[in-house]
Amino acid sequence: MTAVRAPSETRTAAEQTRARYPDAEGYVERDGARLFWERYGEGDPTVFLLPTWSIVHSRFWKAQIPYLARHYRVVTFDGRGNGRSDRPGRWQAYTEREFAADALAVMDATATERAALVSLSCGALWSTLMAAEHPDRVAGLVYIAPAVALAPPHPERAVHSFLEPLGTDEGWARYNQHYWLRDYRGFLEFFFSRCLTEPHSTKQHEDCVGWALEMTPETLVATEQGLLLCELASFQRQCRRVHCPTLVIHGSEDAIRPHAQGAALAAATRGRLVTLAGSGHLPQARDPVKVNLLIREFIESIAGRAR
Amino acid sequence: MTLTMTASGQTRARYPDEDGYVERDGVAVFWERYGEGEPTLLLLPAWSIVHSRQWKAQIPYLARHYRVVTFDGRGNGRSDRPSTAEAYDDAEYLADALAVLEATGTERAVLIGLSRGGRWAVELAAARPERVLGAVLIDPGIAHVAPPHPWWTHPFDEEFDTDEGWAKFNRHYWLRNYRGFLQFFAEEVFCEPHSTKQIEDLVGWGLETTAETLVLTQLGAQPASTGEMEGILRRVRCPVLVIHGDDDRLRPLAIGAAVAELTGGALVSIQGGGHCPQARHPVKVNLLIRQFVESLRGRAR
Repeated sequence: MTAVRAPSETRTAAEQTRARYPDAEGYVERDGARLFWERYGEGDPTVFLLPTWSIVHSRFWKAQIPYLARHYRVVTFDGRGNGRSDRPGRWQAYTEREFAADALAVMDATATERAALVSLSCGALWSTLMAAEHPDRVAGLVYIAPAVALAPPHPERAVHSFLEPLGTDEGWARYNQHYWLRDYRGFLEFFFSRCLTEPHSTKQHEDCVGWALEMTPETLVATEQGLLLCELASFQRQCRRVHCPTLVIHGSEDAIRPHAQGAALAAATRGRLVTLAGSGHLPQARDPVKVNLLIREFIESIAGRAR
Repeated sequence: MTLTMTASGQTRARYPDEDGYVERDGVAVFWERYGEGEPTLLLLPAWSIVHSRQWKAQIPYLARHYRVVTFDGRGNGRSDRPSTAEAYDDAEYLADALAVLEATGTERAVLIGLSRGGRWAVELAAARPERVLGAVLIDPGIAHVAPPHPWWTHPFDEEFDTDEGWAKFNRHYWLRNYRGFLQFFAEEVFCEPHSTKQIEDLVGWGLETTAETLVLTQLGAQPASTGEMEGILRRVRCPVLVIHGDDDRLRPLAIGAAVAELTGGALVSIQGGGHCPQARHPVKVNLLIRQFVESLRGRAR
């Protein structure tokens, strides 16, 4: 069981310098867990950069924040389990419903009535839930490389159990809780090499591995067990309840979540699909200019502004 | 609605507002101009193993504030590749730079020179002070003012029985395995982590010329003694800023320090920087250039 650590103990390495620092930051406590948020800029509307899987924390938006904050009010926070947020020990604390409730608590704490939500990968689960259940708080949804079960996974990922011990450590067999506890670093190197399939990704790879090392494999196992509970039928129901504008950005070469999942989500939410040719699972990091311009264009369109 | 965007292909952050060729003694030199501000910055070529795209991380930023002129040094890019060694004398590059200033209607400019472009910048500033407002020298390739690295000692012309390390800096090896030399050289230039893209760029630009041409560039005349080089540096009257990586594997930081001292200029060392900080530390270098140019205007920032 992972103890909840004080925020001051959670930064393992001296943080790199940032292109932009927050104008306000703070903690909000919900159900015993403290969540660290940041706000940048003053514009309108608010763009809310949501957490993804807690294997990384809010610095994964570092190529978005300086640009978007020049135009909008930007809010982000560290998802429970990593960064300067607490790390509850029980897997029940890591369901998509908990992340959605955290996000709403951060909106309240930052006096954000309504925002455009931008999510990456499994952040799609909580952004969809927020739009379905709190339509008055959500002006629009940008999904980047959404991890949603609306289309089949890559076949090589469907072979191995996450929960059961396996007889091999090869390839996607590393996506297994026993392997994580045995060789966390080995898992991280493998996983992020599959996230970042583009050439010249060494810095992004190093960043991601470093952020993941700010949490423990025990906590990561809890997050994964919590997310395993997400049911396809209930997600499909939530998609039908999304009535705000949506934009899906998905790499054609995403080796974590097939492009077909993004396409299916665009269809399910009646939104626009933009395919990034050649991109992997983290286009916000590897194709930031394209992604930033797409986010901007989307925000301007929902704000009813011509560009 | 669906849309596919291409992630591949080398698009530019900014394209020139004007470009053209200037011809001198039958050799065409390709130049570009960006932006309209004051003053004009002339981004000089470096060794013709690369061409003017070496400045790709400077041009979009600097052109937002100044008028920026650059050109491909003879031997690479869209410029001609003359076939004699004399055509690659320092004097020819200086004459090309002056011809580009004429062709673009540039009376005076701040010179920005990288590596041997830094040498051409001080040679130009010493010879034609009326055309030069100031000079920024990045990892200047200036010999005879400080000891070279100990590995920088293999004679260029001799045949060796080894291809290891800096023994690759050799005409026979270039002609035998040009690609192998480029890869080695690029990895020495970019000793910083996360340089795969810059290494790929340098190798790619190197492949736009030939080993034979590169050999000629190495044989052109340049200052040959400490007395000659120091004399040139002492004649420089304009403000000088030297930017030098403290991990430069080609030209040691001591060269930058000596150049700053002999020209009465300022030295800024880039911690952990290799030989091309303009590519690996572009924000730092761009801000230093900007600060220097603003200081020339006597304008507080």
